[in-house]
Amino acid sequence: MKFQIEDVTVYFPYDYIYPEQYSYMIELKRALDAKGHCLLEMPTGTGKTIALLSLITSYSLSKPQTPIKLIYCTRTVHEMEKTLAELKLLHNYQIKHLGPQARILAIGLSSRKNLCVNPTVLAAENRDSVDAGCRKLTASWVRAMAAENPNVPTCQFFENYERAASAAVVPPGVYTLQDLRVFGKEKGWCPYFLARHMVQFANVVVYSYQYLLDPKVAGIISKEMQKESVVVFDEAHNIDNVCIEALSVSVRRQTLEGATRNLNRISQEIDRFKATDASRLRAEYNRLVEGLALRGNLPITDNWLSNPALPDDILKEAVPGNIRRAEHFLHVLRRLVQYLRGRLDTENVEKENPVSFVASINSHAGIDQKTLKFCYDRLHSLMLTLEITDTDEFLHIQTICDFATLVGTYGRGFSIIIEPFDERMPHIPDPILQLSCHDASLAIKPVFDRFQSVVITSGTLSPIDLYPRLLNFHPVVSRSFTMSLTRDCICPMVLTRGSDQLPVSTKFDMRSDPGVVRNYGKLLLEMVSVVPDGIVCFFVSYSYMDGIINTWNDSGILKEIMQHKLVFIETQDVVETTLALDNYRRACDCGRGAVFFSVARGKVAEGIDFDRHYGRLVIMFGVPFQYTLSKILLARLEYLRDTFQIKEGDFLTFDALRQAAQCVGRVIRSKADYGMMIFADKRYSRHDKRSKLPSWILSHLRDVNLNLSTDMALHIAKEFLRKMAQPYEKIGGSGRKTLLSEEDLEKDGRWRHG
Amino acid sequence: MANTHVTKRAKYKTTIKDPGTPGTLRMTFEKILFVPHNPKSAGKLDVEFRYIKGQKHTKEGSNKPPWLNLTNNQNGIFIFEFENYSDLQECRDFVGKVLAKGGEVSEKPTVAYPDEQLSAAEMELRIKLLQEDSELQKLHKQFVLSGVLTETEFWATRKKLLDREASKKTKQRLGFKSAMISDIKPSTDGRTNKVTFNLTPEVILQIFAEKPAVHRAFLSYVPNKMSERTFWTKYFRAEYLHSTKNSIAAAAEAAEDEELAVFLKQDDILASEARKKIRRVDPTLDMEADEGDDYTHLPDHGILREGSKEMTESQNELYKRSLSQDINRHAAVVLEGRAVDVELEDTKAVAEALAQSKQKSSNKGESDGDTSRERLDRLSRMTEIEDLQGPNTLPLAPLCIKDPRDYFDSQQANALRSSGDALGEIEQIKCGLSTQEVYGSLRESISSIKAMGLKEPIVKPEVAHQVFDALTNSISNTKYHIGKNPQESVLDRLPRKTKEELLHHWTSILELLKHFWASYPITTTYLYVKVNRLKDAMSNIYPQLEEIKGSVPSELRHQVSLLVRPMHQALDAAIQHYEASMQKRSAQSGERPNGYV
Repeated sequence: MKFQIEDVTVYFPYDYIYPEQYSYMIELKRALDAKGHCLLEMPTGTGKTIALLSLITSYSLSKPQTPIKLIYCTRTVHEMEKTLAELKLLHNYQIKHLGPQARILAIGLSSRKNLCVNPTVLAAENRDSVDAGCRKLTASWVRAMAAENPNVPTCQFFENYERAASAAVVPPGVYTLQDLRVFGKEKGWCPYFLARHMVQFANVVVYSYQYLLDPKVAGIISKEMQKESVVVFDEAHNIDNVCIEALSVSVRRQTLEGATRNLNRISQEIDRFKATDASRLRAEYNRLVEGLALRGNLPITDNWLSNPALPDDILKEAVPGNIRRAEHFLHVLRRLVQYLRGRLDTENVEKENPVSFVASINSHAGIDQKTLKFCYDRLHSLMLTLEITDTDEFLHIQTICDFATLVGTYGRGFSIIIEPFDERMPHIPDPILQLSCHDASLAIKPVFDRFQSVVITSGTLSPIDLYPRLLNFHPVVSRSFTMSLTRDCICPMVLTRGSDQLPVSTKFDMRSDPGVVRNYGKLLLEMVSVVPDGIVCFFVSYSYMDGIINTWNDSGILKEIMQHKLVFIETQDVVETTLALDNYRRACDCGRGAVFFSVARGKVAEGIDFDRHYGRLVIMFGVPFQYTLSKILLARLEYLRDTFQIKEGDFLTFDALRQAAQCVGRVIRSKADYGMMIFADKRYSRHDKRSKLPSWILSHLRDVNLNLSTDMALHIAKEFLRKMAQPYEKIGGSGRKTLLSEEDLEKDGRWRHG
Repeated sequence: MANTHVTKRAKYKTTIKDPGTPGTLRMTFEKILFVPHNPKSAGKLDVEFRYIKGQKHTKEGSNKPPWLNLTNNQNGIFIFEFENYSDLQECRDFVGKVLAKGGEVSEKPTVAYPDEQLSAAEMELRIKLLQEDSELQKLHKQFVLSGVLTETEFWATRKKLLDREASKKTKQRLGFKSAMISDIKPSTDGRTNKVTFNLTPEVILQIFAEKPAVHRAFLSYVPNKMSERTFWTKYFRAEYLHSTKNSIAAAAEAAEDEELAVFLKQDDILASEARKKIRRVDPTLDMEADEGDDYTHLPDHGILREGSKEMTESQNELYKRSLSQDINRHAAVVLEGRAVDVELEDTKAVAEALAQSKQKSSNKGESDGDTSRERLDRLSRMTEIEDLQGPNTLPLAPLCIKDPRDYFDSQQANALRSSGDALGEIEQIKCGLSTQEVYGSLRESISSIKAMGLKEPIVKPEVAHQVFDALTNSISNTKYHIGKNPQESVLDRLPRKTKEELLHHWTSILELLKHFWASYPITTTYLYVKVNRLKDAMSNIYPQLEEIKGSVPSELRHQVSLLVRPMHQALDAAIQHYEASMQKRSAQSGERPNGYV
């Protein structure tokens, strides 16, 4: 359907539209018109992504003289693929109605690991080895060598791409990662570098958060994006955590040992070069005198992870004299490693701010703040000069330099915490030095400054006024939409007691109580026998999940559950979890039915949908609070209190509840879908906790469902499932419409204008 | 046929409770003869086989003695108790043969039939089909037993029935049990510390499927390196070590015993399989790809000790196996289903069969390259929001004809109405095309099929819909016209007996005609004889039809005669054809001096 929002003709690839999608688009358009940032909360399962994509693409189609670029950030690669698939649908529709003028180029961008098509490089195990493997074949000096000596292996795909030069372009269309690989294979061009190149020309770029937020990556990938871009952060409820993680580094004993090894190797290399090719080191010295401008004209393949601090913070000035010579720089690094080793040998937990830490480095190791700040770039330059390609071997020294640069750059918003052992395992000495960022606004600030509109959207952004404070920006539009439901297709419940009327909770003093564990098991057992297809369970942590599953296994509850449904479990191993998920879906598809055990804040909770028959019920066992004894968390809470006047308890509850809401929100995809949500903890019945849930859940949480025991919940579940099995009118009852057709919108438009 | 008779010792019982009369049972193709040992006792039996309708027997292994239970057509039973099961089996097979071949045997064949070797299973299947379907049984009795058709001919037209039955049997395969292997609990004798595990081939297959490393070890170690018993002892030793969750102890034991280490280590085959499988995973849940894109979590970057991320010990990692891994693996295997379909008896056989089937599936996995295509399809299906879409296809009601007669009745009744009043529209459609046009369009579609292959769907839904409509719209109409009650058809107004007779005649005429027309052109003497037989049978039907007509009350006679008329017509046509071809034949054979009939 196509319709008019003020002066923009919106092309929407479906026959109907939800009213909230329509109002979402209206708000979004206002923000675009105002060239400002916005914050939009809309429940999951109401088609946010397609609404966003279709408004923004239509907006830029209707204003061909000032085209805007869409930078769409997803948290995960699979969300990226999903977004691109939706965009493909939309693009086909627009072409059908507008013809060739609607053609756009949309590409997804990911790491070499996901884009490389060279089989020898791909054979490597992990991402860093793939990166290094690629560099070994494509670095400028390797290629120069190969030009003289044909026995030096190069990458055929990259050579072809280089040879094609400016002819190497991707024709308009929507390309998922898979499409890019196929295209690259067909043409014989390297898809990774092709995609990197095309990012500048594409109308829509879809990539992951860190390509904008993490200065290490953003420095390379995103520096040439024009200001007239709309940046969208989808599923952004965790964006503050992504921001602070991007600027946090930790150093352990293994890191220091590895760094020492790296330094020895570098020193050997320097000696070798001195003997064979001393002019090269001299040339580097001269270049460094002129400043770090070298970055701009590096060949694309020599680029490496960029400086961890933000671009503007590194002044365009010359590298300090004391580290210009390679040997001197090496000495500085050795002293730094030595100093850090000394700091790690501590008996007590220490907490320090960067300013005093830098002062102490200066007095003990004789390295001043400015030198620290340039460590990372100096290392990078040195490794290029020494023609080191196996960068995956040098991760440790990189980490140390990251740390040095960050600590030398930022005076506030950070703290340095040294712990001699893990709180939970005090008998095992495992010292760790962490530089942790507390201020999410630091990492995202350049994004807000550089781009004209930044859209932050998610299914759970409650309370919506908190995010502008955490991220320190001023949205021109900030709205939360509710869900118009054709029927009550979600059924949230709070379960406070087991069938034996004993309270259930994962509160610290209760969680290992056998009665609670048994009641949780009984709850699941009852539910698997009445709920069809898929059930998802979320636990508060991996260790709690492991414990409870072991107990259930010993007491035979697990065996009984298995008689009804197959059981799959999320583990810390990503491959295993992915396969388990795939099997889970197949079990749901074939009608066997399955239960998936997962962890709140885990990878699955973050990005996997359990829509339709993949999730008819989700059980949240406990309240997913953060580990409150963590020193880092305490430091962050303190910072939040001092800087933003956010109370500790409030923040913790907010954080726990947004995770819980995120977990349960995964079950709904559209209004034809339905699902139940059980919050199994007595603490959910308290008003201060519950009220932090997003409004679309609260509005369906009836008072009678606030204090249930297992048998009552079972009864409600049966009733609900029976009700949902009835046929219903999709358009909605006589009262208000939950699906709008083109005519409805026209009427609405006339009403708005008239 | 090798045996023309069977003689066994048996006891004859008239009822189940009857202790039985000992004697000798002799069965030939024609009759069953039982002579008691004691000539004075009653219970002498002499039954002709054609009265025997079916047989039942007790199963070996059940507690019951070996009984054979024959039923005759008056529902009388004859029970014979044999001395052992092999006797029973022999007699059972014999009875089966005779029952199935009743017709052939009772009439001495004039020409040699193509000989048919039937397995016992096929025989049983046929008998079962006959027992299940009374109509089929009636036909069988009428034609086969009376010799109009041979057994082979009768079944030849029903091959599909036999096939489907046969395939149905193999379709349903037993899956794995939902219980985990670790649920196998040992039994103790209570006095010593010795435990005993009870392994069945079933369990072993499951172990092999879930733990490929154990499977591989079994294939390479047993029986060359160690006995099967030691193998499993070691296996359970390893399982015990796992259950203690003491990875240090496990590592120590593994260091001492390299075979034990195989069981204790992480399964390397699983790991490599996982790597292969991950490429085929749905891209919307490929979390491995995320990891490859995540530069924030370089080693030592990001926040480590936050509670959500737990530390793992790298030491003894090799010998650590978590319950979750086991559970995931178990569920995956159950979901995959059982690949092996052998009779489970011998462990060795199980192991080898599994290895073979794996080989096959891995070959298959490598050969099909279009998994990425499927992945994409799945992706696009996942992204669509279903309820925003308008109804995209014609609402289809799946065709389900519970009783085909319902359909044909109505067509029949259609003809019953004076032809011409309501059929106008249909005829219009029919006559709309000239012969050339029809021919042209046929040619066109054939050539397009030749060029492009069959399309999906073969017929356009609209066309199919139209044709279907044209064919069926009269169903409801007719019902409406004939009886006001929609359930009532013409036939329902006839007396029950007449109705049944009519229907039976219909089916038997259809059966005969089917065979009759299938025999043309007559190329062999065998067919010639067959056609003759059929013709005789058909001509016998005329008087029977007349009889039916005569038997009904006068007010229904007209309708009955209308119903009978098409039967007459069909038969007439057949006989006419027969006579014409006979004349032709005699004209030809007239030249021969001694023309054979």
